[in-house]
Amino acid sequence: MAESKIKEGVTAPDTNELNLTSASRKKSFNLPKLLRVVFLTIGLLFLYAPIVSLIIYSFNGSKMMTVWGGFSVKWYFELFADKQMMDAVLTSLIISFCAASMSVIIGTLAALVLVRISNFKGESLFALFITAPMVLPEVIVGLSMLLLFVTLSQLIGWPQRGMVTIWIAMVTVTAAYVTVVVRSRLKELDYSIEEASQDLGAGPVKTFFFITLPSILPAIVSGWLLAFTLAMDDLVITSFVAGPGSQTLPMVVFSSVRRGLNPEINALATIIVFIVSLCTFFYWLMRVRKEKRLRQDMKLAMQGK
Amino acid sequence: MVTENSKVPDNTKSNGANVEKRRVSTDIKPPVKNTPKDRKPLLVIKDLTKAYDANLAVNNVNLTIYEGEIFALLGSSGCGKSTLLRMLAGFETPTSGAIYLDGQDMTNVPPYKRPVNMMFQSYALFPHMTVEQNIAFGLKQDKLRKAEINARVEKMLKLVHMEEYAHRKPHQLSGGQRQRVALARSLAKQPRVLLLDEPMGALDKKLREQMRLELVDIVESVGVTCVMVTHDQEEAMTMAERVAIMDRGEFIQIGGPREIYENPNCCFTAEFIGSVNLFESTLITSDHTGSIIRSKDLENEIRLDIDVDLADGMEVFVALRPEKIYIERTFPVDENGKELTANYAIGVVENIAYMGDISIYYVRLKSGKIVITTLPNVDRFNVGLPTWDDQVYLSWDPESCVTLTF
Amino acid sequence: MKRFMQRIKTPPKQLAGWRKYAVISLPYLWNFLFFFVPFLIILKISFAESITAQPPFSSLFTYEDDKLNITLNIYNYLALFEDDTYLMSYLKSLKMAFLSTLFCLLIGYPVAWAIATSKPAIRNVMLMLVVLPSWTSFLIRVYAWIGILKKEGVINNFLMAIGAIDEPLQFLQTDFAVYIGIVYAYLPFMILPLYTAIVRVDYTIIEAGYDLGCKPVGCFLKLFVPQTFGGIIAGSMLVFIPAVGEYVIPELLGGKDSNLIGRVIWMEYFNNRDWPLASAIATIMLLVLMIPIIWFYKNQRKELAGGR
Repeated sequence: MAESKIKEGVTAPDTNELNLTSASRKKSFNLPKLLRVVFLTIGLLFLYAPIVSLIIYSFNGSKMMTVWGGFSVKWYFELFADKQMMDAVLTSLIISFCAASMSVIIGTLAALVLVRISNFKGESLFALFITAPMVLPEVIVGLSMLLLFVTLSQLIGWPQRGMVTIWIAMVTVTAAYVTVVVRSRLKELDYSIEEASQDLGAGPVKTFFFITLPSILPAIVSGWLLAFTLAMDDLVITSFVAGPGSQTLPMVVFSSVRRGLNPEINALATIIVFIVSLCTFFYWLMRVRKEKRLRQDMKLAMQGK
Repeated sequence: MVTENSKVPDNTKSNGANVEKRRVSTDIKPPVKNTPKDRKPLLVIKDLTKAYDANLAVNNVNLTIYEGEIFALLGSSGCGKSTLLRMLAGFETPTSGAIYLDGQDMTNVPPYKRPVNMMFQSYALFPHMTVEQNIAFGLKQDKLRKAEINARVEKMLKLVHMEEYAHRKPHQLSGGQRQRVALARSLAKQPRVLLLDEPMGALDKKLREQMRLELVDIVESVGVTCVMVTHDQEEAMTMAERVAIMDRGEFIQIGGPREIYENPNCCFTAEFIGSVNLFESTLITSDHTGSIIRSKDLENEIRLDIDVDLADGMEVFVALRPEKIYIERTFPVDENGKELTANYAIGVVENIAYMGDISIYYVRLKSGKIVITTLPNVDRFNVGLPTWDDQVYLSWDPESCVTLTF
Repeated sequence: MKRFMQRIKTPPKQLAGWRKYAVISLPYLWNFLFFFVPFLIILKISFAESITAQPPFSSLFTYEDDKLNITLNIYNYLALFEDDTYLMSYLKSLKMAFLSTLFCLLIGYPVAWAIATSKPAIRNVMLMLVVLPSWTSFLIRVYAWIGILKKEGVINNFLMAIGAIDEPLQFLQTDFAVYIGIVYAYLPFMILPLYTAIVRVDYTIIEAGYDLGCKPVGCFLKLFVPQTFGGIIAGSMLVFIPAVGEYVIPELLGGKDSNLIGRVIWMEYFNNRDWPLASAIATIMLLVLMIPIIWFYKNQRKELAGGR
């Protein structure tokens, strides 16, 4: 699943073009190009119109979302003054941070198992196991985990429902995504560099930490980020396993949204979109820079005869 | 560069007796039997077998490699040469058999504890380290002192002429430069044996020829024993002192470049190295005055001056290299001007492939057999040379023929 | 060399012996305990009886007079089939998931095609733009549609302004709104696998089609689309499977009567506190989803094998 979901960065040969009307190229009218523009416009409009409307209304002075009451930022102030909301943000950040960190460890190990150890007993079961949390409906995953926690606490008195149970649930679900991301990087890795390392006298453990880990680090970082956002965003599973005391941000938002429109949520949405866009933009910038450097380096290599 | 004269006379035959028996042709000089006595055996491979499920990638192989030698494993893809190399490096565990280095059993020693280093086909440079760090990596594993590491790295960089690139990362280097770094890295630890896996595999053709010579120069100046794997016969012949031809996990022939070309021990080697005309024949008689062989492809007999030492009536193959066949439009004569009565054939030029330096002639004999022969293009305008549909006479010296039994 | 490389692709030695088991054990145990065992428990509890206690279900195993009694209560399952509201919920969920998947495909395919055939620079920006919304909050994106679809919302205002309608239309709390919500939320998951498949299409095959006299439309349907089947299946499953169990979207956009199965489980658990029944519903749903899930995995494996 997320194999493709995550590989959004892949570039492909640029010669590919389904030229439905190769003859029409000579004419000024180019059907594929027109279609492309139309499709992209409609698609992006559909994806972004709701988000844009949220952003616009977040600056609406009126409480009625439909009536324009003049430009105002008061909803932002109200949002930051909302203690319950801010507490939930903190809770969510803590849980997501811890969950992403653990999930990266488990996901990387799982990816190592999948790529590097073949033919062990239960291999295909393992693969199914690891990635199934991605596909299954959240209601099922949430319910099943809750029942486990209830059974466990009945048996051994642990865990109490709360941040720990949310953490466990989030690690289990997000580790699947990390596995997919790290696995695809590991697969691409030329493991003769690991053999070279061993050949030069570094034992297996040293080789892993000095050669393999640095090579898959970018994948681990993006896996971490992915796990973090997923954990920040989850509502259904969290609702099932959360205890009475622990309210995450999506839970608070949900109960507020259920009661109807709330301009505070618009402000929150705008902030989230802003942060995500900013991160994406910087990531983008870094990548463009890196590519540019790479191209320069290659030129350098060519010139160096 | 490695020319044959720069080496110890190289008609070494280490897989001994049965090779000798099969090789029944003449040589201009009798082959010098010489296992370099001044060199001591360094790497001994004994009854080595590697099986993948039911497939034998390497099948009961025996080999001795001597100190300071450059040895090539030559074969087509899947012949087991890479598996053999990887067993020497320690990346594959043999199914049975043993590997001795300096008399010590290395068979189950993990790669990181073997005094053997490898240059990988893809070079396997660590992408996140600079050239300098790459070279120092192996030395650091030996826990050498910093000053010593630096000195050694510098020496290595100098050796491969890469001093100015010390702080570059692998992706900032061209293919040839990467190869030098890979070589420096694998030589830095002063291994007892240097393993080269398709050393020129990742380079383009022009660069390949240049790097071949350079690589051999470096390896010889260091004096390290070297085992390389290649599928490129030209590479094997120009770089190695001895070549082992492998097929289906077994050695077919081991010998110096000239020996395997001029004295193939079987049809496989003859066809694998260069091109060859093979005539299916029967041995009529053979004694100390010479041998008479009759081929169903040829109207005339093949007469040799030597005793092939095989039973009369035996089925044999006569192998004849294209460049050793004379092609003329007049009836061939011997040095006394007498017309030949044997060792010639009459045919029609069916096709000519102009290669620039030489032309390859495809001559159809009466029997239908196509014989390949070459002529150097000495004359720019091709004056007097046979052309399409000409009737031509092919002839050869008795010494040019190699008689093979299988 | 190919054949040989394949063989060498056995795992490098680095993971052997105890290290191998050390590496396997953590993820294996974690997922076994927190993912696999829960399903056994769901199965177990689905056979329990709902009681008013903490936790609110009876134990299957009782120990009386040195005898272990196992009480399997299949009433929960019987209830599912006796009361046809559950059956209708299942069917409706499947129907809505199916249609949403179809709409996603119809919208996603042209967009994926358009992205895949753009210039590389544009392509990467476009991909980023498609993914970006799914990095923001799912909940908030669904919430955005309330403002658009409600009676005094953007669409109704617009339609009234241009005079197309006199009375505001009821969009919210209809199935239509749920469809829009699902398609909107899951569209990126459809576009990405489709994009990956379309980018991989071998165009010489299309050219061969033209060369042999096939018309553009025929080429597209007979030569182009079949090459992207893997992406179609992957994308469809990524939409269909979670859509069947969707809870948030019908809850926020759908009507009170849109009892999709995800919502039913939620309500049985949270509102009615009938955990055994919720477990039984979940078990059946899991069984139903087994087919598409297995199909998805098979397809993924094939894609991965073929892609190399």
